[in-house]
Amino acid sequence: MKKPSQKNSTLKSITESRLFLPLLALMLILLFDLIFIPGFFTIENREGNLYGSLIDILRNGSTVMLLAIGMTLVIATGGVDLSVGAVMAIAASTAGILMNPSALRNEVFFVTDPTYTFQPLWLVLGAALFISILCGLWNGMLVGYLRIQPMVATLILMISGRGIAQLITNGLRVQITYRPYMIIGQGWFILPFSLYIVAIMFTFAWLMTRKTAIGMFIESVGINFRSSFFSGIDEKKIKLMVYTFCGFCAGIAGLVASSNIRTSDSNNIGLTTELDAILAVVIGGTSMAGGRFSLLASMVGALVLQAITQSMYAIGVPAFALQAIKAVVVVLVILLYSDQFRSFIRKISAPKNEAQP
Amino acid sequence: MMQVIRKFIEKNRKVIPLWSTAILALVAYAIGAYLFEGMRNPQVFFNVFRNTSYILISAIGMTFVILTGGIDLSVSGVVALTTVASAVLLREGMNAWGVILLMLAMGMTLGAIMGSFIVYLKVQPFIATLAGMWFARGMCFFISDDAVTIDHYVFQLLGKTKILIPGLTELVEKQGNTAPYLTIPVVVGFALLAIAIYIAHYTRFGRTVYAIGGNEGRNEQSARLMGLPVNRTKMLVYTFNGFCSALAGLALSLFVYSGHGLYATGFELEVIASVVMGGTMLTGGSGYVFGTLFGVMVLGVTQVLIQFIGSLSSWWTRIVIGLLTFTFIGVQTYIANRKVGPKMAQSPQAIAAFRRKRMRQGIAVGAAFVLVLFSFVAVSRFTASPTGESTESAQCQVAPFREAAAESLIQQGAVIVYHRTAGPQCVDQLFVIYPDGRVTGNDGANQVEKQVTPQEVEQLLTVISVDHQWFTDEIYSTYLNPCRQCFAHYIKISYNGQEKAATGVDGTTAMPPGYAFALAEIRPLLPEFNSAP
Repeated sequence: MKKPSQKNSTLKSITESRLFLPLLALMLILLFDLIFIPGFFTIENREGNLYGSLIDILRNGSTVMLLAIGMTLVIATGGVDLSVGAVMAIAASTAGILMNPSALRNEVFFVTDPTYTFQPLWLVLGAALFISILCGLWNGMLVGYLRIQPMVATLILMISGRGIAQLITNGLRVQITYRPYMIIGQGWFILPFSLYIVAIMFTFAWLMTRKTAIGMFIESVGINFRSSFFSGIDEKKIKLMVYTFCGFCAGIAGLVASSNIRTSDSNNIGLTTELDAILAVVIGGTSMAGGRFSLLASMVGALVLQAITQSMYAIGVPAFALQAIKAVVVVLVILLYSDQFRSFIRKISAPKNEAQP
Repeated sequence: MMQVIRKFIEKNRKVIPLWSTAILALVAYAIGAYLFEGMRNPQVFFNVFRNTSYILISAIGMTFVILTGGIDLSVSGVVALTTVASAVLLREGMNAWGVILLMLAMGMTLGAIMGSFIVYLKVQPFIATLAGMWFARGMCFFISDDAVTIDHYVFQLLGKTKILIPGLTELVEKQGNTAPYLTIPVVVGFALLAIAIYIAHYTRFGRTVYAIGGNEGRNEQSARLMGLPVNRTKMLVYTFNGFCSALAGLALSLFVYSGHGLYATGFELEVIASVVMGGTMLTGGSGYVFGTLFGVMVLGVTQVLIQFIGSLSSWWTRIVIGLLTFTFIGVQTYIANRKVGPKMAQSPQAIAAFRRKRMRQGIAVGAAFVLVLFSFVAVSRFTASPTGESTESAQCQVAPFREAAAESLIQQGAVIVYHRTAGPQCVDQLFVIYPDGRVTGNDGANQVEKQVTPQEVEQLLTVISVDHQWFTDEIYSTYLNPCRQCFAHYIKISYNGQEKAATGVDGTTAMPPGYAFALAEIRPLLPEFNSAP
């Protein structure tokens, strides 16, 4: 038999690539939009800033993209972090209460002055991120050092985290009016400001995992933590680090979300986003069992989710019914990635391969 | 002495989490009864079961799933879907028993579909059931966007039937209290528990369930190699859990008499937490179905305590449940590690190193615990004031309750003042009922009036104060953020020289049942506002 031609092998390397399926899904959704929604691809230039549906997908997807960065690393170690939504709420509540502490005294007065803040901005951001790092450390300690199953360990913070967030704001929604804080979620410098935050976090995570050995350590812990331990990798520290980083990402996502809706609503910020983040990683092709991961594919996964949401809104599906559609998408994705489906495909293409030496 | 204790612990390792939960529930209740006179009423104790009946039903199914090493996150979605679907079907005039059977069949079908994904397509239980939850919740809003009330007589009958406890009735009535009672969902829950215990511990199926779970999925492999019907058993377990979820959904609709897609959010966490507190290992393969009852009891007692303490806000329930889950999982993990520990350590140095490690871990956990407690205390100092009534719903500004207006109206001779805000149309309506049968309503813009007979008012007051015990500790104020479609209620009643006001919000399970019944009694007497503006 002849060697497979050059063209065939490039095609194969493309279809075998991790980015292939998520990108294909994204293309399909955008194709759907191109046909059914007029004006979906128009991008306006208003005073030097870009606006449009595509930009909206990027902007609204930035929270899930931030979460997906941390979640990819956690899932790569064979764990999962269910508490990111609650950590988002905690970070947002902390930031809100530091800028507008009237809620604590149970007074209902609304600050409308865009220059008013109780504490300086660096303290607000610092405190919120510090608390989210603490949450991440707590998860990492439970998973790494106490050897509690990741799902259960993070479930604890998921249950009580929202309660803690409500405790911080005394159960009230805190209005945020401070202009500089708004930039995080609503600022535009040609592109939405939140995208630059995503880009910075992504670059940082990518450099850390691909230009140092940490990425390989994470993968080896995910594949087999015992053998990584015996080969000299401190798997506990790796886990602690990964969960802490995930908490940090969730904290940033919480700041972006709260600045986007101008309130720190401890009840609703980040509600069920942990599921979106996990789904984004799964669509990106990272196995829930741990091991090999691709940050870029997770980013594409997050965009796929946001593109679905945006298109459904555009054709008029109500927000809550959207969940049912998402569920169908999950099922399709799961089927595409399942071994059963793969072996089915292999069976179809088997006669060709049999002929090869 | 230590030797004896250690031996005892070694011997009863599996049962310890179970009994410690049971003791915790009872001790917590006893402390509550010592501090609050209201909790000494036997009815309050039985209310623990009444308020958690649907959690118990769902937790029984979840216990089986967790025993096989799986997890089911879809329960809350299926519960919400059941409430909505049954409410809409009843509104369309379908036979009530037919609806009940249809709902159970629906739950089993959903469970079987998720089970087949897990078993035959090897999808992680976590992901498959997550998709199931989204699907079920999405379906709720396809069926109905608004909350749908249930006023079918069969459902009213099933929900309101009081089952007196034989032997206790005379004893309590002698002391002058009203006889304590249970409701049908509680009895159904206990019957299901008995059946589940039999299935889990005395049948071949139950033994297979235990054989599948545990040891990070390796036991499943060995069970398969031993020729046990692993696939069939797992399918049955998920189907059974779907059945339990639908049954729990029916129990919830008997509790709130309405259906809405946002009911029971976070319910799956409560269920999983109570299973864990009941001593079932989340890795599967170890635990007792009976323990789940105590896990649910701890949850119920926590709720009751927080309601009686009063100054604590509702979110403390979640924090306490989180802490308790952590404690129990910590104990489980400690016990599980103990099993392996001494075998691994052989040389004296290794043993010493192991002990040092254990000690360091212990200190770390203790320090973390103290830190968390300390931060709670510190934060609660700042936030000592009770929950504010001026919270907003997701859709509209919830108007504050007009307590002063109610007080002055009562002074002027009104017997019932009922104020409701929010709801689907974001209303702000004040109704006043006078003893002569005059009923007025005011929604800020319009005035409406209606005349009923004085006898009707007298009967309403008797029913509310005697049957639903308005003036006892059984009725207490609860306030949470109203959901998108829910009403927030404020009722003030003056009758026979007694006066009491209580607040509540639709769609939460914290609302005392008597409060919901009183609302249902008052509603038919109220005048309608003209829909035209």
